[in-house]
Amino acid sequence: MTTDTPDEDGFTGQDMSHAVGADAATGGSATATADIAVRTEDVWKIYAQEPEDVEAVRGVSLEIREGDFMTMAGPSGSGKTTLLNLLGGLTRPTRGRIWVRDKEITNFSGKELARMRLESIGFVFQAFNLLPVLSALENAEFSLLLRGVPAEERHRRVQELFAEIGLDGLESRKPARLSGGQQQRVAVARAVVGEPTLVLADEPTANLDSHSSDDLLDVMERLNREHGTTFLFSTHDPRVVERARRRVSLVDGQIVSDERG
Amino acid sequence: MTDDRWIWLRLAWRNLWRNRKRTLITASALSVGYLASVTMIGLWEGMLAEMIESGTNLVTGQLQIHSPDYYPERSMYATLGGRDGIDVDELVRLTQETPGVVAASPRVYGGGLVSSGSETVAGMLVGVDPEREADVTQLLSFPAEGRAPRAGEREIFIGQGMAELLEVGPGDEVVLVAPAADGSLGNDLYEVSGVFSTGLVALDGSFGILPIGSLQELMYMPENRIHEIAASIEDPFAVAALGDSLGATLDAQGLDYPVLPRPWTVFRAELAAYADLAGAVNGLVVGIIFIMAVFGVANTMLLGTFERRREFAVVRALGTPPAKVAVTVVYEGLIMGVLALAAGVALSVPVLFWLHNYPPDLSNLFGEISAAGGVIRPVLRAEYSVGGPLASGIGLLVTSILSALYPAYKAVKILPADALANL
Repeated sequence: MTTDTPDEDGFTGQDMSHAVGADAATGGSATATADIAVRTEDVWKIYAQEPEDVEAVRGVSLEIREGDFMTMAGPSGSGKTTLLNLLGGLTRPTRGRIWVRDKEITNFSGKELARMRLESIGFVFQAFNLLPVLSALENAEFSLLLRGVPAEERHRRVQELFAEIGLDGLESRKPARLSGGQQQRVAVARAVVGEPTLVLADEPTANLDSHSSDDLLDVMERLNREHGTTFLFSTHDPRVVERARRRVSLVDGQIVSDERG
Repeated sequence: MTDDRWIWLRLAWRNLWRNRKRTLITASALSVGYLASVTMIGLWEGMLAEMIESGTNLVTGQLQIHSPDYYPERSMYATLGGRDGIDVDELVRLTQETPGVVAASPRVYGGGLVSSGSETVAGMLVGVDPEREADVTQLLSFPAEGRAPRAGEREIFIGQGMAELLEVGPGDEVVLVAPAADGSLGNDLYEVSGVFSTGLVALDGSFGILPIGSLQELMYMPENRIHEIAASIEDPFAVAALGDSLGATLDAQGLDYPVLPRPWTVFRAELAAYADLAGAVNGLVVGIIFIMAVFGVANTMLLGTFERRREFAVVRALGTPPAKVAVTVVYEGLIMGVLALAAGVALSVPVLFWLHNYPPDLSNLFGEISAAGGVIRPVLRAEYSVGGPLASGIGLLVTSILSALYPAYKAVKILPADALANL
């Protein structure tokens, strides 16, 4: 059994020979199809811990299609956040393989994962996690800036998005002067402005009141419907689960149900 | 964030001001370190200047011109130009005309016995041109008793220690016996014109100053034979370069005898060694100041890094390359260093001005101190220099960057998933 230790890139890694072995065992048959945003194959995440290792994710195989608006629900400790981190390239699997579109990211270096996250993944966090020294506009355009998009185009895209999600006029405000709902909408703008393959939202409504939660879900639903943005929510919130068109349930690190409709 | 080139610098600037008090306190610590460093270097250079001044102005001058074979044996026969002698006035003039030279004066040296009654003391006899010498050294200028010897008179100006041993004072006669250039022994009666007291035991106990003509007469040497041209110069710290340029100037004159200018660092080697040692100790102390500052600032910056773990995790999660995260933290250190440098310069200018122009006189607490053949007044006078503030400024900026390196490393090593999970 292999367990995780941080590597020089600051990521918890896996025994790569094992992953390569898995590829060889399947004869390289695992290939991605065009409309699949993210795919996992028998992904495990095991944390070395005393007195015994913790198996946070156990053999998850999952396909997320482009345009999905899906939730991942489960009790605390069921492995939701860990699976989200694996899909977003924030941590590496102990075993198994992960593809983002047609690229396998399992063996990516820390630098390659950073590039992949920048280009393909949007994150929305429970605690908003906006950078307090930046204005709403600067926060939202941050990933575009990292991609080298010219300032003029960045501003145009963010302002259009702000107008669309009800943040018009708040561009210059620092996060401390925004309500929780406004901050989370800025975070959503930051996540979607670069048109990523997948937006991972970890309990996005947990720190919001019901009115703000509904507003936020409206925004994300509209972005999904009108722009085809793929969303995966990790959540306990029944309002989020109700709106999802696909619902995955996780228990003890394993998918126990996957329903559409 | 309109100008992308400076985004990480701007981010660092804004981050610094998130905790204004902490930034100001940390920058103040660096500024005080800079002030301490600049002041220490200034005072050390002031003390050194005082030592060099007193150690060279008193007797030797800062630059001496000899025949190449004169030093270190100081043979009586190794006069400039050898037996033929030189045009003394011309060499003095050429020396004085060299840029950087203040004044020059010819000298003759001899060893001999000085006697009075039944007492005899071995002495170093120095023949000087009293008028010219007054512009080069100060020994003749401050007699403790009597006066300096006059040109053309058979007079001797002796140290306090010698006067006490011989039990003589101004107006008394002493007998001088000295080996002469023709192989005989010269001897004659000389009147004590005055007594000097430098506080340096060796000097006060064994030196006798005579008009150059009188000593040449005693040693059967013609007027055109001298051992040395002593010179005072504008900048004692630039003596090596001036010695080279003087040598080149004299060579260019096509003199028909060899000359070799020697800086005070050669004929007052113990003073130069003491200055080097003091400089090394001073450098060490300044180094310790900045090393202490590195740990203090690094500790504060590390604290700031830990406080912002989640933010670093977020920017990493968004795809920021680790190098950019590190650069931002290093920029924070650098900006703090620049701010501290500006404040440090603003603080140190009036302090140095005060110490240079109105130095505290500690004479009431300490008497004069003699060290390495020089006398130091207990005055805290700082010398102006470019090197001290420049070295301290570089030290401060290097300190601020070094202080940021470990926090930057820690920021890069933050695991985004763990930090976002508050682990």
